[in-house]
Amino acid sequence: MTRYIIQRLIYLVITMILIATLTFFLMKFLPGTPLSAADKLSEEQQQVVLEKYGLDDPVPIQYFNYMVNLVQGDLGISFQFDNREVSTIIMERIGPSMQLGVQAMVIGVILGMLLGLVSAIYHNGFMDYTSTFLAVLGQSIPSFVFAGLLQFYIGVKFGWFPVALWEGWEYTVLPTASLAIFPIAIAARFMRTEMLEVMGSDYIVTARAKGVNKVGVVFKHGLRNALIPLITVLGPLAISLMTGSLVIENIFAVPGIGEQFVKAINVNDYPIIMGTTLLLSFMFIIIILVIDLLYGVIDPRIRLAEGE
Amino acid sequence: MEKLLEVKDLHVSFDTYGGEVKAVRGVNFDLNKGETLAIVGESGSGKSVTTKALMQLIPMPPGRIKQGEILFEGRDLAKMSDKQMQKIRGKEISMIFQDPMTSLNPTMKVGNQIMEGLIKHQKMSKPQARKRVVELLELVGIADAENRMKQYPHQFSGGMRQRVVVAIALACNPKLLIADEPTTALDVTIQAQILELMKDIQKKTDSATIFITHDLGVVANVADRVAVMYAGKIVEVGTVDDIFYNPKHPYTWGLLGSMPSLDSEDEELYAIPGSPPDLLNPPKGDAFAARNEYAMKIDLEQEPPMFKVSDTHYAATWLLHENAPDIDPPAAVKKRMEGMAKTSGGSEGEQR
Repeated sequence: MTRYIIQRLIYLVITMILIATLTFFLMKFLPGTPLSAADKLSEEQQQVVLEKYGLDDPVPIQYFNYMVNLVQGDLGISFQFDNREVSTIIMERIGPSMQLGVQAMVIGVILGMLLGLVSAIYHNGFMDYTSTFLAVLGQSIPSFVFAGLLQFYIGVKFGWFPVALWEGWEYTVLPTASLAIFPIAIAARFMRTEMLEVMGSDYIVTARAKGVNKVGVVFKHGLRNALIPLITVLGPLAISLMTGSLVIENIFAVPGIGEQFVKAINVNDYPIIMGTTLLLSFMFIIIILVIDLLYGVIDPRIRLAEGE
Repeated sequence: MEKLLEVKDLHVSFDTYGGEVKAVRGVNFDLNKGETLAIVGESGSGKSVTTKALMQLIPMPPGRIKQGEILFEGRDLAKMSDKQMQKIRGKEISMIFQDPMTSLNPTMKVGNQIMEGLIKHQKMSKPQARKRVVELLELVGIADAENRMKQYPHQFSGGMRQRVVVAIALACNPKLLIADEPTTALDVTIQAQILELMKDIQKKTDSATIFITHDLGVVANVADRVAVMYAGKIVEVGTVDDIFYNPKHPYTWGLLGSMPSLDSEDEELYAIPGSPPDLLNPPKGDAFAARNEYAMKIDLEQEPPMFKVSDTHYAATWLLHENAPDIDPPAAVKKRMEGMAKTSGGSEGEQR
């Protein structure tokens, strides 16, 4: 097990280097330079600035320098945002995004699984149709529509929670709710399908034949077997939620990483683009690793040989 | 002999989009304490549904027990609520299933799966239950029980898993054990082992058994009495000797004739022509008439009642009516019956 994790961490480093390389060169293909917006500077002034940041070197040299700094943990400084350290800017920005993502994910998965379970248990009943209807709505209506509705009704009309900005916990409620709709819908639909399939399997009949009651059959025998496919879809979803939703962050004026990322790309702020890409990739790989390990926890058949 | 189970006029139907499928259409049988009854018949004849209905294990809906009584020690199981049945399932009646590859929960340790019933029905503490699990695993012939109980089903072979399923069924010393084709999914050598195990256990525990199978060889090996089912009804019932040496129903002849044997070389197997009737619209008269070369006019008009052949032997065929012509089983079947009488000269236990 430990060996497996170490192996995966080595892969992680290799993957990160590959991603850094690829992103670096792709980024250089972007039209324009960091100075595109600075047309008030004269040629000479521009040349001075380029030299200062090492942007007049040949691309391979720039790459080499960047990688050397990267290995030492230095992500460089931002070109456009007050020359601040890239790591500082990212750290400031990732907090709100992750908080929203984690909140939305936890609420989404719990509510979604409950809805799905209710659907499966009362299969083809009123509860099933209601929750399936809600799930289809949640999956097909874009989150910014919900965001707008929530802002108008809960934020403005009833005034229960603040409409936008980022000044405390109550400010997270509406964006979290808008973000959670999608995972609720996905979790509910998968849970329902999987649970129905599991409840029709032979070992459920075996459990019932033992005299296990309904609750025991569903939670002790059914749930765990229904979780594997759910985790497979929820993993990527978790990543996209935690790495910041551009739309939701904009609507609610949340100072998150998604918004920052897009701004940086528009103005060719290379160090920020690199730093953000690397951070998101890193989170992605770690979450995939966690999911792979979770499979083993849930299903003993996937568990790795533990060298006993 | 004390009666343990009496099934009276049991009807089970499934409501489908096409209409009501009458899977079991008036089944009557009884079972004494310690006795083994085999129920045989081809796929779709209602054997499994009948026994699953006894434990209310058919999916309801779409299934339902339409009418009839299931008297288990005098209590009518057909009228019990699910809550009441939970106290009976696994404790007084338990079931061994067909496919050991799918009938164990893949994410639960084998020991825990056996323990569940003990903790629920016998109110055992965990350490007590664990001790009993070790005993049970040893009883069903699984060595190294202490360690094996901590493993998951995928770490067991098919035969071993079926032993675990047997252990689960036996955990609370049930009065009635229902074995639903327990050897069908296993290969032949393992089949023999599991059958031997079940016979062994029955001797030790003295529980009554209903053994569902379509393998007549298995029947001769384990059963005291045999009920032959066709299209949701029992068409012939009798002791093993009655059914094997003196079968009366043409369907039973067909079943016996289609069974390969080892002692004859160049004989052709007898095949029953046609296929079983659609139970969405069961035919009028005798359901077997369309496939029966001895069918008479009355077979198409009226269902035959159970005719008494002897105190233990009954069959539902108009051929037993006093006005019916005297008909002998087909030659191939007759030869088979004679062959069986020869080989089974009191040494049933050896023919595996």
